[in-house]
Amino acid sequence: MTKVGVVGAGMTLFRRRLQETGKEMCFEATKMALDSAGLTRGDVDMVVCGTAPDAFDGVAMKGEYLLDGSGGYRKPYTRVFTGGGTGVFSTIAGWWHVASGLADVVLVVNEEKMSSCQPHPQSVFANIWDPILDRPLKPNLVWIFAMEMNRYMTVYGVKKEDIARVAVKNKRNAVGHPCAQLADPNITVDDVLNSEVMAWPVQRLDISPPSDGASAVILASEDFIRKRHIKDRAWISGVGWCIDSTMWTDRDLVFPEYVARAAKHAYKMAKIDEPRRQIDFAEPYDPFDYKELHHLEGLLLADKGEAPVLTREGVTERDGKLPVCPSGGLLGVGNPIAATMGMKIGELFWQLTGQAGKRQIPHEVHTGVSQAWGDLMQYGSVVVMKG
Amino acid sequence: MTFLDRTTDARKFRHWEGDVEADYIYTSGVAGERFFVALRDEGRMLASRCTACKLDYLPPRMFCEDCFAELTEYVDVPRTGRVAAVTVAHVDRTGAKLSHPQVWAFVTFEGIRGGLLHRLLVAPKQARAGLSVQARLKSRDGRTGTIVDIEGFEPVRSRF
Repeated sequence: MTKVGVVGAGMTLFRRRLQETGKEMCFEATKMALDSAGLTRGDVDMVVCGTAPDAFDGVAMKGEYLLDGSGGYRKPYTRVFTGGGTGVFSTIAGWWHVASGLADVVLVVNEEKMSSCQPHPQSVFANIWDPILDRPLKPNLVWIFAMEMNRYMTVYGVKKEDIARVAVKNKRNAVGHPCAQLADPNITVDDVLNSEVMAWPVQRLDISPPSDGASAVILASEDFIRKRHIKDRAWISGVGWCIDSTMWTDRDLVFPEYVARAAKHAYKMAKIDEPRRQIDFAEPYDPFDYKELHHLEGLLLADKGEAPVLTREGVTERDGKLPVCPSGGLLGVGNPIAATMGMKIGELFWQLTGQAGKRQIPHEVHTGVSQAWGDLMQYGSVVVMKG
Repeated sequence: MTFLDRTTDARKFRHWEGDVEADYIYTSGVAGERFFVALRDEGRMLASRCTACKLDYLPPRMFCEDCFAELTEYVDVPRTGRVAAVTVAHVDRTGAKLSHPQVWAFVTFEGIRGGLLHRLLVAPKQARAGLSVQARLKSRDGRTGTIVDIEGFEPVRSRF
């Protein structure tokens, strides 16, 4: 199998509404990634586009619509989507293009323009529910998360304060991110606890809002990296993905088994048998503050029920023993579904190549793991990268 | 029971009637803003120019899809274009018969990459590829900066 490295990354501003069309956002992110790698579109063999169902942007055949801005014109081009999991999964899809020996250079471009949907993309999310069992009850997507969060709190006796610390950490971490929509250097746990209740126990500041944005990464074979003397690269050493039951009522709401299975697959490939010792930092998916805790446990970086304790003790701060979401994550930078790749794969690349600027982890890091969560809230995708 | 025996009326079964409601506001984007403001305010049609590839894009794009340069230079599209292809619609999207058949055309312009889809303002019998046409715009007061500021394309009348 060909060894694959990430050699460039780019992303747009994340905002509630950008003037740019979806394809214009793709162009901006792609151009930044190409420029940062010192490559041109001519160097790219194949393109993978990751983007949510057509209803979100309101453009049917959205992958085809985005292809010119994504650099896909007259190239082998594929659209993939696994819900929010696309934030990491599209890179896995790009990886197999190169690892298989089929391509030397692959561009991965993720995009969402969630502002088009009026008055709020929640009206599209409403259609993911089972049409017979759930939709007659007119449920809101936040209900599921609220129940999952409530179950997690109930089983382990977790206090809301300890969950709110995740939102505070990530929104503060995002202060150093030039694309951030939700950075706040002064936010406190009380701010989170006093924010509007959406569906108890989920409050306004526990959750990341919809955003417009795009991100891009460039993957290349070891041969290509050597021949072109590319210095800034981070190797993809393990990948994994897994999906749980289609019925959310049949899942373990306390422990994300789908993440654990994806992580074990990726760790085995990366020859990691003691993740807590061998992984230096993590970018788990954090659309809600409790999900970062959930996912840390799924990634086997914390024992069951232990993630809130590690958070309270400062272990997951940027200068802690296990920095978690040093990018600022979805809670701090924003949540344009698939485009969150910028904080997951992009951040691993920037941290491992020493290009994270104000977000750079102060101590040396060699191995990072990123994870995204999606489909109908039962999908995990995991990538391990080494410097 | 064969396939043909099955009912095609879903209401004969236990069922729930749902709808997928979704409304959208689409931004015209960076290049679109230039195009539609010039169309509305000055009655001009602009293309964006890629100097490296020596081509002009209509509708304008903010980037060249080929060399991937950002495009910031805009040029006027020639006033007269040519009908590349036509169709005459007789039924609407629900399948209902239109009271008057509609003529639609793909119009291209010399030296320009791309073109526009729009109404061709001729009788169905006169619709044919190769016609020389010009855009007919709404009056300035009626223009709002959208593609329907153009009413359609009409044949260029010979001065001789």
